[in-house]
Amino acid sequence: MSFSLSQVLLFIFVYLSGLFAVAHLADRGIIPERITNHPAIYILSLGVFAGAMASNGVIELAHRYGYSFLLYYIGVVAMFVMATVLLLPLLRLCRVYQLSSLADLLSFRFRSTWVGAAITLAMCITLLPLLALQIQAVADSIHILSGHAAGDHEHYSLAVLFCIIITLFSILFGTRHQSSQDRNTGLVTAIAFESLVKLLALWVLMMAAVYGIFDGFSGLEQWLVQNPALHRAMEPPMGGDSARTLLLVFFAGAVCMPHIFHMAFAENTDSSDLRKATWGLPLYLLLLSLPILPITWAGIRLGHDLPIDYSGLAIGAALKSTPVTAAAFVAGLSAASATIIVTTLALANMCINHLVLPSTLLPIDRERSVYIQLKWVRRSLIGILILAGYTFFATLGGKQSLTQLGLTAFTGTLQFLPGVIATPYWPNANRRGLLAGLCGGLLVWAAGMMLPPTSGYYPVLLTQIHQNLFNGEGSLWMTVSLASLAVNTGLFVVVSLLTRTSSDERVAAEICSMDDLARPTRRTLTLQSASEFTQQLAPALGERTAESEVRRALNELRFDEQETRPYALRRLRGRLEANLSGLLGPVMSHSIIDRCIPFQPGGQAETEDIHLIERNLDRGNYQFTGIAADLDNLRRRHRETLDKLPIGICSIGGDGELLMWNQSMRSITGIPPEDVVGSLVDSMPAPWRTIIDDFLRGRKDSLLKTEITSESGDSRWISLHRTSADSGNDRVILVEDITEFELLEEELLHSERLASIGRLAAGVAHEIGNPVTGIACLAQNLEYETEPEELRYTAQDILRQTERVTRIVDSLVNFSHTGSGSGEASLAPSNLADCVDEAIHLLSLNREAKPVEFINHCDRELVVLADSQRLLQVFINLLGNARDACDDYGQVSVAATLRGEQVSVTVEDNGCGIPPELQNQVFEPFFTTKDPGEGTGLGLALVFSIMDDMGGNVQITSPIRKPPQPGTRVTLQMTQASYGTTFEV
Amino acid sequence: MYINRALLMAVGVVLIFFPAIEGWVSSSESAWYRPYLLWLLVIVAAYWNQRTRYPDEL
Repeated sequence: MSFSLSQVLLFIFVYLSGLFAVAHLADRGIIPERITNHPAIYILSLGVFAGAMASNGVIELAHRYGYSFLLYYIGVVAMFVMATVLLLPLLRLCRVYQLSSLADLLSFRFRSTWVGAAITLAMCITLLPLLALQIQAVADSIHILSGHAAGDHEHYSLAVLFCIIITLFSILFGTRHQSSQDRNTGLVTAIAFESLVKLLALWVLMMAAVYGIFDGFSGLEQWLVQNPALHRAMEPPMGGDSARTLLLVFFAGAVCMPHIFHMAFAENTDSSDLRKATWGLPLYLLLLSLPILPITWAGIRLGHDLPIDYSGLAIGAALKSTPVTAAAFVAGLSAASATIIVTTLALANMCINHLVLPSTLLPIDRERSVYIQLKWVRRSLIGILILAGYTFFATLGGKQSLTQLGLTAFTGTLQFLPGVIATPYWPNANRRGLLAGLCGGLLVWAAGMMLPPTSGYYPVLLTQIHQNLFNGEGSLWMTVSLASLAVNTGLFVVVSLLTRTSSDERVAAEICSMDDLARPTRRTLTLQSASEFTQQLAPALGERTAESEVRRALNELRFDEQETRPYALRRLRGRLEANLSGLLGPVMSHSIIDRCIPFQPGGQAETEDIHLIERNLDRGNYQFTGIAADLDNLRRRHRETLDKLPIGICSIGGDGELLMWNQSMRSITGIPPEDVVGSLVDSMPAPWRTIIDDFLRGRKDSLLKTEITSESGDSRWISLHRTSADSGNDRVILVEDITEFELLEEELLHSERLASIGRLAAGVAHEIGNPVTGIACLAQNLEYETEPEELRYTAQDILRQTERVTRIVDSLVNFSHTGSGSGEASLAPSNLADCVDEAIHLLSLNREAKPVEFINHCDRELVVLADSQRLLQVFINLLGNARDACDDYGQVSVAATLRGEQVSVTVEDNGCGIPPELQNQVFEPFFTTKDPGEGTGLGLALVFSIMDDMGGNVQITSPIRKPPQPGTRVTLQMTQASYGTTFEV
Repeated sequence: MYINRALLMAVGVVLIFFPAIEGWVSSSESAWYRPYLLWLLVIVAAYWNQRTRYPDEL
């Protein structure tokens, strides 16, 4: 049964077009997202692992090694079942830092363009046998279907035709998206579809084999019983060493093969999908492997003359069934095309990121978008890679079986396993060790596995090792695999231990180690706002690309374009680096970001960004166990305690960045934490910016009372305390709202003032008693006076005494009014000297007081604007205090000077002075240094209050001369006035 | 570093019982699909294991 070549090629074209249509429908959203985003699609897309090796090559493995063919699947199953060991840590790294290939991962870990380039080159070389395997499987199948004998010239022409078709489709698939960092939904869906097709085709073949060749499962069992030798051949799988090596090779392939890496990590959007794949992929592979033994046995029973790999086609031919033949062909075609498409796409991305861009082979064109340039480069690279695969296939001349090609490729990629394992598990590994190990391992691999089929030369040394170590048992490839891995690992370890690891690598190693994935540090950027990022990146990326990348990063982080918070800018920088890593590779991205958006040089030492760490922990919704859970509980408890403290707490970094702002701060300031945490103190709203900034700059660690007036005019009183953290320059400020305390104190003062008025009233009663007694005496004398002149004098004396009583009562009323704050001063021109004279006169009435000398130097013509009664009260209080401060021979002088419109009145004494530490308190009500019962502490408070009411002010200077009589000077500032027409003299 | 304890124990058990398992699987008197039963068991265990959420979840 044969088909014409055009029929077969048309079939291939139609099949691949159908595949492209699936991708197109998925990309356009015509296939619903609930299907394309379903975990099953992701799991099925991982079936890309099963290339032509799974559809054809594994039949030869089963034929030669019995049950050992299962190791091909079990290696991958083991890797996925133990995903927590390697796959999940790598997935986290890849997703956080947008790493889409093994070269990205290793160059990120070892911080070297050389590592990226070496891995890419090595990967391209080791993957040539895999590409050749796919091409050979399809070309052979076409060849068989079209009825030609193997090995003739037309065989290569068919391979060329297939390569042209698959190149076109690979380019279509691979460059649908601008950037390799975008999830390629169409590709994932198409590969998942291919996995399903592959599975269905193999099951069709199994059913055809069982029911067509063996007459059902019972017939198969019966045939096996009749051929015990065959069943026994299954028994002893290949030798133990070979089996373990095979398992190791396929185990490594599950993470080192670029197409599997691409599907597992670059196309993953949810880590829970990978968790589901830990059982989903093994289930898929179980279903895929089930048909292999029945197909193999059917091939053996048929005894066809085709290579055993193509038993499926032989079954179709034997049954003369077009559907069965088509199923056999489709199984191989779907497996091979999926592998070629994804492998070349992954390799093309690696070449761009690690060979083309770092070597400046592709200068960034400012006029064109980077995305378009990259798209064309990717297209070219895909073509070149498939051409290289074909060239390798043609060079071999069909001398290698599919299994040999597969083993060569898998053993080659085994050389990347030491680097992959070291990434999360060995922080001391360095780039020199990795490169040395890789070179050594690849040399052994090339000598043992690439050289013999291409040149026919078998290295003697490897053959001797095989003889000496394994007694010539097993295959040579096993010795080559183990020897190459041993050389690789040995060199890697020894060179890493003997050479210096750079600081960059140490940082990357910390990031990659599983304990410390996120290592957010707090450093200050030279840029002040997000809008500056675009300008800085434009010279490196081109204006359009820079703008689009910055906007994209801002959208992902949900930040505003006017963002200025240092915390937000650091996150934006990190996100840009991660996004550019997906576009240009981690090394280029790191270099561009370091150059365009640098941190401030020579700034403060790096400190951990506690705020970001805590935010990540809170958002992660982690379920810790053991000591980690205890520590997390402690963290939460402490955080809650700090948040709910009734005292405001804010923590400020050395660079002025706000690191913490608890709930009390929110209620005191009205500013929510999310508005200020991560921003600078300078960017806080008024009046808090000034208060906190001044306090931080000041020398004092405490500010006991300060009044704050909000925009609405409300006043609050707060006290501030400051402390420094033990580590770094961080400072913690405690803010206490003492408004209620202040109001209470004011109320208390008022009550106390009222009480003091009551106490004064007693003194006043005594003061009034004297004139009243005088009036009574005068009235008695009046009774006996007959002389009109004497009567007049007595009446005048009575009137003077009455006026004195009135003045005393007025003073009391005035004081009580002033003290309550409701006094209104009625300002009028007042003669200053007269007022001073009156005060001196009143004070001299007290015969029990010290006989100090009062001198009035005031200009007799000087008139000030004042309430004369209240000004009198001021002088009485000031002169009385001065007298009390002097000894019996003291001297108190009053002088006035005129400066412009301002009159400065000084009251000087030669008394004991006022100690400096008390000078700030003398104006406070009830503050006195006099003995109990001798002073109320209201005198100077009243002076301050009256002068304030009259628009003047009062200052105290002490001492004014050297001891023993330092003296005090009280200076009153008042406004000059004159008796104009407005005022009645 | 976080590695599932159940997984470590399972690997240990497999290593200890590997000779017995290998003998049972490749016995000539057994049904040809016997290895697949073991494989199915691994899938069930993996399914059971992945239901727990781990701290390295993204």
